[in-house]
Amino acid sequence: MPQTDAAAVALARDGDSEAFRALVERHSRAVYRLAYRMTGSAHDAEDVVQETFLKAYRQLARFESRANFGTWLHRIAVNCSIDLIRSRPHRETAHGDADLEQFGAVLESTDATGTSPERLMLSTEVQRRIGDAMSGLSRMERAAFMLRHFEGRSIDEISEALGLKTNATKHSIFRAVRKMRAALEPFVADA
Amino acid sequence: MHTPHLSEDELVLHYYGEADAGKDSGSAHLAGCEECRRSYTRLQRVLAAVDSMPAPELPDGFERSVWARLEPALPVRRRWRSWFVLSPASLAWAAAVVILVAGAFFAGRMTQQQPSRPAQASASAEQIREGVLLADLGEHLDRSQTMLVELVSSDLTTSKVDLTAERERAEDLVAANRLYRQTANATGDVALTQLLDELERLLVELATSPDDMSSEDMEGVQQRIAAEDLLFKVRMVSSAIRQRQKTESQVRSAAGRT
Repeated sequence: MPQTDAAAVALARDGDSEAFRALVERHSRAVYRLAYRMTGSAHDAEDVVQETFLKAYRQLARFESRANFGTWLHRIAVNCSIDLIRSRPHRETAHGDADLEQFGAVLESTDATGTSPERLMLSTEVQRRIGDAMSGLSRMERAAFMLRHFEGRSIDEISEALGLKTNATKHSIFRAVRKMRAALEPFVADA
Repeated sequence: MHTPHLSEDELVLHYYGEADAGKDSGSAHLAGCEECRRSYTRLQRVLAAVDSMPAPELPDGFERSVWARLEPALPVRRRWRSWFVLSPASLAWAAAVVILVAGAFFAGRMTQQQPSRPAQASASAEQIREGVLLADLGEHLDRSQTMLVELVSSDLTTSKVDLTAERERAEDLVAANRLYRQTANATGDVALTQLLDELERLLVELATSPDDMSSEDMEGVQQRIAAEDLLFKVRMVSSAIRQRQKTESQVRSAAGRT
């Protein structure tokens, strides 16, 4: 197995499938986690992993050997996730605040009072709440928020990538943040 | 002068450095407003906590399963996709290539140099055998095409799609498809091998699907058929085969008259 990504890429370009396999084995977990974070679905994340490596394989000739393979792959995975999200019909432009209130009520009902914020901050409860909050996001809210928060994309870039108007993108991010606040503020407010 | 507090949304924009440059009095306001500063600190804590978002658990051997799924697709996808960039020019070129190779699949060896008499008898038997095989392949592709049309026109407005008929049909088609693919591969017909390989993967997936498929999964199947231009390619090869059969029949008739 090639020691470095650069060596594996060079071999894979020459048709060495075992070298490409080494790249897949090194990076598939990271790609899956990114894809899952973006799509919120295990099934979609698997599809994104598959498509990402297929695209990478087809585009190996374009990869510049001085670049970092992981970073390059990450960019492909983000784009594949966006393509998948955009390919699905979305019906979330007309949300009122009712679902936000409902979401807050659900979280309140499971509020874990009486536990120190410091401990909870490190506990699985916070992680569980993040997971709950994430699953409460619509597909576009999730994608816009992830691209802004984790990928550092600007709102304009996100709008272009997701095919949304700037205000719609902002609205998606605001709603996502509100849901995060509703889920997590009780635990972090006085930390 | 009293300035209004920053709204929650303005704080979010400020956090991400997205506030309009001309209007961003956020920093100055936060420096002088205790209430907004507290609110902003809470926001910072919430978003910092989001960074600890849990990663999904993955089973041991995850990488192997990714590779197992990926490997069969690699050589196929690479070639097909490089053909089908979907510009009109490349589509036309691809169409010509597919027609040529589909014709060459069975017929290429029929136009060899004039054989001697004993060889002529053998060539004739060979021609008949290949003609039968060609007809079978054409029928196989026609049946596959019918199934693909039904799949792409499935109604997605219901939560479940009844896949019983398609699943049974896919089961019937898988074994034959495998034989045709192996034959195409053995005769070195790369393009037809690739098409049959793509078709086979879809057939296997359908054959192992539940009778009731969710509309979301069915949408995925439809998108895959569209993304791979599967219906287009099957139609094209099927049409090429029919044309080939017609030509062969005319050649044989002409030869019988002489």
